[in-house]
Amino acid sequence: MTHSFFGGVYPATRKDITRRKPMARLPKPPKEIVIPLMMCADGPAVPVVGPGDSVTVGQPIAKRDGRGAALHASVSGRVSGIELRPHPWGGRSPAVVIQNDDRGELYAGRPAPLDPRTLTLEQALERVEWAGVVGMGGGSFPAWEKMARAAGKVDTLIVNVAECEPYVTADYRLLLERSEHILRGTQALARCLRCQRIVLVTEGDKLNAVEAVERRLRRSGNSRVQILPVRTRYPLGAEKQIIQTVTGREVPPGGSPIDVRCAVFNVATVYAIQDALFQGRPVTHRAVTITGGAVTRPRNLWVPIGTPLRYLLEACGGLREEADRMLIGGPMMGVALLDLEVPVMKDTNSLVCLTGWEHKPDTPAGVCIRCGKCVAACPMHLAPTIIRRALEDRDLTRLSKYHLEDCNACGCCSFICPAQIPLVETVAQAAGLVKRGEVEQ
Amino acid sequence: MSASYGPKRLSPQLRQPSTTRAMMLDVLVALTPALGMAVFFFGPRALALTAVSVLSCVLFEFLYRLLTRQRLSVGDLSACVTGLLLALSLPASTPYWVPVMGAAFAIIVVKQFYGGLGRNFMNPALAGRMLAGTMPILMTTWPQPLQKLSLTATDAVSAATPMSYLHEGALPPQALDIMLLGQRGGCMGEVSAFMLLLGLGYLLLRRVISLRVPAGYLGTVALFALFSAPEGVSPLTWTAYQLMGGGLLMGAVFFATDPATSPVTPRGQVMFGIGCGLLTVLLRTSSPYPEGVGWAILTMNCMVWLLDRLGLPRQFGIGNFAATRAVLAQSWASLSEIKFVCPKLNLQLPKPKEGQAPGEAYLDLLRSLLKTVGPLAGVFAVTCALIFSVHRYTDLDAARAGVLAQQEILAQAMPQAAVGAETPYHTNGALSITAGYSEEGLLLGYCIEVQSQGFGGPITMTVGVDLNGAVTGVAVNSHSETNRVGTEAMTPEALERYVGRSGTIRSSGNNSVDSVSGATATSKAITAGVNRALHIVANLSTEGEVQYENTQ
Repeated sequence: MTHSFFGGVYPATRKDITRRKPMARLPKPPKEIVIPLMMCADGPAVPVVGPGDSVTVGQPIAKRDGRGAALHASVSGRVSGIELRPHPWGGRSPAVVIQNDDRGELYAGRPAPLDPRTLTLEQALERVEWAGVVGMGGGSFPAWEKMARAAGKVDTLIVNVAECEPYVTADYRLLLERSEHILRGTQALARCLRCQRIVLVTEGDKLNAVEAVERRLRRSGNSRVQILPVRTRYPLGAEKQIIQTVTGREVPPGGSPIDVRCAVFNVATVYAIQDALFQGRPVTHRAVTITGGAVTRPRNLWVPIGTPLRYLLEACGGLREEADRMLIGGPMMGVALLDLEVPVMKDTNSLVCLTGWEHKPDTPAGVCIRCGKCVAACPMHLAPTIIRRALEDRDLTRLSKYHLEDCNACGCCSFICPAQIPLVETVAQAAGLVKRGEVEQ
Repeated sequence: MSASYGPKRLSPQLRQPSTTRAMMLDVLVALTPALGMAVFFFGPRALALTAVSVLSCVLFEFLYRLLTRQRLSVGDLSACVTGLLLALSLPASTPYWVPVMGAAFAIIVVKQFYGGLGRNFMNPALAGRMLAGTMPILMTTWPQPLQKLSLTATDAVSAATPMSYLHEGALPPQALDIMLLGQRGGCMGEVSAFMLLLGLGYLLLRRVISLRVPAGYLGTVALFALFSAPEGVSPLTWTAYQLMGGGLLMGAVFFATDPATSPVTPRGQVMFGIGCGLLTVLLRTSSPYPEGVGWAILTMNCMVWLLDRLGLPRQFGIGNFAATRAVLAQSWASLSEIKFVCPKLNLQLPKPKEGQAPGEAYLDLLRSLLKTVGPLAGVFAVTCALIFSVHRYTDLDAARAGVLAQQEILAQAMPQAAVGAETPYHTNGALSITAGYSEEGLLLGYCIEVQSQGFGGPITMTVGVDLNGAVTGVAVNSHSETNRVGTEAMTPEALERYVGRSGTIRSSGNNSVDSVSGATATSKAITAGVNRALHIVANLSTEGEVQYENTQ
């Protein structure tokens, strides 16, 4: 390991709560499944089923129409309607509601598995688009578009198993338990994208998953795939930081990984791609970690997409004490939940219920003593405290020199600040001010 | 995404456990070993001084915030840190009012006037200490360690600090282990290098400070010390003494790392440390004071705004080359903003007025110039003359040297005389005539300053002649004879031969002084000079007119 990214912080990982819990299926599937049409970063899909239709597992219920990703029923049953339901990204949005009949019938019109030896890029793109695979690490960007853009232009394929967020263990369990599938998916991706170097990046706290993967690699004699354990440091899992760690290249400002000849796929995305290519299964389930000090029996679950979070929490024994915050995603970048009725999305990797003692109490922001820890922690080379001082002065000319648009909101500055100043919001506010100021001019 | 910002929606939901207050508490803990050593060396007075300093800092902070109706900020412990640092940077024999005055300056002027914690541009404790240091009587006695000072009295046995030896380019008498332990003269906190290093280790472990500033600072000083060791001293020993001597360690660990007054950017912090080191080396070697840590840090405190700009991290995703080019382009842009305004020079010839010839306009111009420049030049000349004459007549060294030279000549020309007084007599051929008096005030004779032509030029000599007309001594004032050839005739032995002679001295025969072989011309010239002096004295009359026979 010769490369490393600048800055970063070391939050307590607390992954021990769930890291030894095998991924379990729900003991009883939920009665009602809610699949929002808005499941992809570029827009909502168009429903192809109506109220009263009966669906089977894996049957398409919405299709891509210029934008959006195809959706499939994750349980068998009857569509009760297309209604406005709470959405994890905020507000309410239209969703296909399915009443589960608990029979679990599989969809008959599933495509045949593809042959990995004769796989072509066109076949793969068509199949991945049909399966509605989006970035399952939180980006929700269509996977087939990413593949199409990267094909032939990249030399390094990075599979992101870093999972640098504290508490979350879904990707770790997936890699440990389905390592064979993931390696198969990785090789298929590399074949489609024509990459020379294939790296699985994990943090150093996942060594038995690393060992499992290495054992498989030794057995298969495949020397092209490499698994790279990196010392635990947040935010290793951020796209630009993981590229810098593996290759030493820095994504140029406003650029994409393709500019530095890299493609980064989350491990859950790779698994979904593999499922689509070689099992003929669309994205209907995913791994979710239910954890936090407030949960009675924290565990990793393999759940149908569209399951309401309240149901997941009940499957884990509910709350044993009052949860102060409930978050989708990890505690560093996760979104605080206002409503437990929101369903599991394709990019939902965890539900974290924090008690009052686990996070810092809401003390008011103190005075900046210019300790400079935020500058030393920012992996994107920003200087939050200097930005904050310029924002206080409303100095647009100075602010415009601080390349604010680079901020990826990883939260290192807010985490490290001893005065508890909300620096992420400050930088976001400054970036908004600069953008508005430029529009006015 | 909905943008309802409440405290519960702010990510990240985790925070590192440290707070401002905890950081300040860590600094207090890190200073405790040094304080303990100070109490061990200097007795309870060290503790009392510290208490006075801390209490007055807290009190001033409390009162200021109360009277200006601002939120009370005593709870963040920053005033305690200021007080403790201020106390530890004073000698143990300091009177009790000094920390109170320093605390008032530090807390009210340096810290609160600029907006309180984090907004002051100078380290408050250091500013307070340097203010006390400008009072000449205060910071000159460094009490001897292990001499327990009483709580009230301030009479301390002063000890020379190792820095004063190092400043002279010599090793101090203390051995290196004594320096490490701290049994030496100095401020209370700075004496024990070991305890300060203990504090540094604690602060680093607790991640209160990073190593950038101390490493940059100490590294720069060490580098210069390695190459500036005086002859006969091993460079490593010299470096160790330089690092442990004076307040360097305390400054590098506790004063330079003060977060509010050091840069926030990592690169800026390194530059800050190096700058402190360079200034310290400069002040230690080329200022009249042995120590320069305090002023070095205060000076660099004023440069923090610049270092923050210089040290801004380069943008992510552009290489070092592109980043350097961007910085250069930006500096070029800001430099080109500076407009050079040419001073207006009126080089045109003045136009003649009506009825004037072209040359007359010139004369007018010159006249007006003279009118304006003339008085100025006059004042300038008068000032110069005044300064020169005052200097000339008050230049005691030159005057003393002249008197001494005259006395020496008198002693050589007339050993019996105690006092010489210049007479008003003027004689053809004598440069001056000085009368020699004994201690009782009796006239013994005259010393005649005469000139004669030697081999290489004129020889000026003083010849003492007593009232009987006999030579008492000959002294050569100045000459331009060839060295080793002509000067053979000017040795005391050669000049001794003229003593007691009177009348006219010849070069051979009766009443003669033989020429020194190899220096005949010079011998003859001296003889001629002595003869001239004898003649002058023989023909001396109070009228001042002497007949003088040219013997040459």
